Amino acid sequence: MPILEARSVTREYHMGAETVRALSDVSAGIERGEFVAIIGTSGSGKSTLLNLFGGLDRPNEGEILFDGKSLAPLSSREMARYRLRRVGMIFQSFNLIPTMTAQQNVTLALAFAGVARRDRRTRADELLARVGLETRALHRPSELSGGEQQRVAIARALANEPDILLADEPTGNLDSRRATELMDFLNEMRRRDRRTIVMVTHDQELAHNYADRIIRLKDGRVIDGDA
Amino acid sequence: MNLTDILALALRNLRQAKLRTALTVIGVVIGVAAIITMVSFGIGLQQNIISNAFAKLDLFTVITVFGANTDELIALDDTMNNPSNVPSNNADASSNNADDDSGDDPSDPPQGESSPAASPTPDLRRRRLDDAAIAEMAAINGVRYALPVLMFQSYVRYEGRTERQRIGGALASVDYNPRFKNFLAGGSFTNDDAREVIVTENFLDRVAARRNPARRARRNQGPFSPAPVKSDEQRAEDAASAIGREITLLTLPSAAGPEPTSVFGIPLGLLEAGDQESGPDGRYETHVFRIRGVLPSDGGVNFDQFARTDLYIPVEQARRFRQANRDPLELMSEALIGDAGYQRAEVRVMDPTVVRDVQREITKLGFRSFSLTNQIDEIRYIFFVVNGGLALLGGIALLVASFGIANTMIMSILERTREIGIMKAIGGSDGEIMRIFFFEASLIGLLGGAFGVLAGWGTDRLANFLVNRYVVKQGPYIEFFSIPWYLWLGAIAFAVLISLAAAVYPALRAARVDPIRALRHD
Ligand SMILES: Nc1ncnc2c1ncn2[C@@H]1O[C@H](COP(=O)(O)OP(=O)(O)OP(=O)(O)O)[C@@H](O)[C@H]1O
Ligand SMILES: [Mg+2]
Repeated sequence: MPILEARSVTREYHMGAETVRALSDVSAGIERGEFVAIIGTSGSGKSTLLNLFGGLDRPNEGEILFDGKSLAPLSSREMARYRLRRVGMIFQSFNLIPTMTAQQNVTLALAFAGVARRDRRTRADELLARVGLETRALHRPSELSGGEQQRVAIARALANEPDILLADEPTGNLDSRRATELMDFLNEMRRRDRRTIVMVTHDQELAHNYADRIIRLKDGRVIDGDA
Repeated sequence: MNLTDILALALRNLRQAKLRTALTVIGVVIGVAAIITMVSFGIGLQQNIISNAFAKLDLFTVITVFGANTDELIALDDTMNNPSNVPSNNADASSNNADDDSGDDPSDPPQGESSPAASPTPDLRRRRLDDAAIAEMAAINGVRYALPVLMFQSYVRYEGRTERQRIGGALASVDYNPRFKNFLAGGSFTNDDAREVIVTENFLDRVAARRNPARRARRNQGPFSPAPVKSDEQRAEDAASAIGREITLLTLPSAAGPEPTSVFGIPLGLLEAGDQESGPDGRYETHVFRIRGVLPSDGGVNFDQFARTDLYIPVEQARRFRQANRDPLELMSEALIGDAGYQRAEVRVMDPTVVRDVQREITKLGFRSFSLTNQIDEIRYIFFVVNGGLALLGGIALLVASFGIANTMIMSILERTREIGIMKAIGGSDGEIMRIFFFEASLIGLLGGAFGVLAGWGTDRLANFLVNRYVVKQGPYIEFFSIPWYLWLGAIAFAVLISLAAAVYPALRAARVDPIRALRHD
């Protein structure tokens, strides 16, 4: 049974009178421990699908299943819990809170999970050490390089030990060397912790080098489900 | 996320926009300060009037009993002569209560009680207020004494000036008159028929002011009576020097006019021959009294309706003088009905809690009565309304501030849209997001409330100082404002509440931020 599954998912956006179909009738499954890349041209619906997997959005038709259970009946509060516990997300633009230090960005995620105040800092430092940023804990995002910021984002995504890591073009704002470094890191983490990774990317080569399987999207439809 | 975390986040948000937060807080400070100032003034006024003024004057233990008026007494006479008149006279008497001098008539016997079966001659309830009736009142449980109110106006000559004065009759016994407990100099009458007079310090000061025009400028009109500016020793000295001086009461010659020479068997020829002097051509008589005691006059809030007399003479003397000083209408009323009795009597009770019971007994005796206890509820109500109105003004100021809060919160949310999106993406719930902004708003309210209370207190102090200095000018420092603890707490709580209300819309808006949209734009 796939840990994550999209069943005939359609997502439409209404822009005034116009309706944009970001996804139409998409079905896809992700197995536990898999590293799946979603690729496609700009506007093909990659981020939309990832956001549906991440519980940030709900489909108009079809359903998303986590561990065989549909997310559709979840209340917004339960959905927040799902995002907190089950998935960790990282983004192309890192999305760190600029006024908080690396450490504070990580502890924020721990705070939402209700980790006791005194345990948070040690946990955050552990997580930052895991992404190789133990010396940067007290720096703000503006004082960190893009690669470092993305690693802080990963530390934050992993803070509550999610089953799945969802990454939306995590290397999009990094040069190729940093990108390779980051991909190596993700790959190693997956192997070590047996974590499931779904990554959206433009980069065919990156996808081929690291992913177990590739889902290709075009105009909101899956055109090829194999690696 | 626990409340400490939410509080920390809210504090952090406020700290990041210090200027904006400060300006918003100032808005709340002004609103709360306005409420505090207004309401504390209302409460202060209340305390000045109810607690200080009233309590000081022992007004809570006094009941004023009203005698029947002429009209009622005529009706009463008719009833006695012709009992078949009862029902019509009954209606007549009650319809005429309106132009009775007591005006407000709280203790009129309830109509239900005066059923013809229970009392065949209801009009007899309006009894003559005479010595017998007063004796009956004195016998009521809880009554300390009952005395006719003997008050009259007369011309008085002192230190070469002649002026009209209100003169009261008083008992020699200090126990009967709490007002006579403290004398600045001298003491109470030697007996109830002595040729002695007790004056107030006010009276002496007024006389002194007339002689010394420089002091007149400092006298005040209006509700604030100036207390002595003199030192206590000076006051005592001045008062002591007045003891033994002569005050002359003027009356018409007792033989003048067609009046009877005696009423109730009291001879109108007031005096033993030796004391009596005639004025030029015998047009008036003079009666010499000596100052026996001087009462201190305290400053403070005074009201005309409680205007006191400045001169007191022994009760028996007063009885006779009043008789001689009746006005033509009183004489006319006497011609109609004979002895009208007294117009009013004063019943003093042992303690304020029995006032209502005693009043009920007095009603049973057939008299209307009035006590401040009747009116105190009304006064409380008036203050309740006044305070409410003042609070409303302050509330409006706070309402204006609440728009500032709402504005600040919305600004804060617009600035933080992305941050809110991030929080949601990493697992923050709508409720948690909302709570952050509610906390932010209540912190603004709390800060504004706390500083507002301080500012209101400061305003009170300043205003009190200025009013005492430039309006009241003399006398003891009058405390016009009062900020009881519940006003402190209430104002702060109210500010927080208003802030929370102002944050409802912004907080909902924050909770509804769509994380995808918030995270999309770079
Ligand atoms: N919130 C939205 N409102 C309206 N239209 C939207 C919204 N989100 C996405 N779309 C539209 O849906 C389509 C798919 O968008 P999506 O962001 O999934 O594309 P993408 O594959 O991630 O592209 P990119 O590679 O540029 O990130 C696009 O046409 C986009 O304009
Ligand atoms: Mg995208």
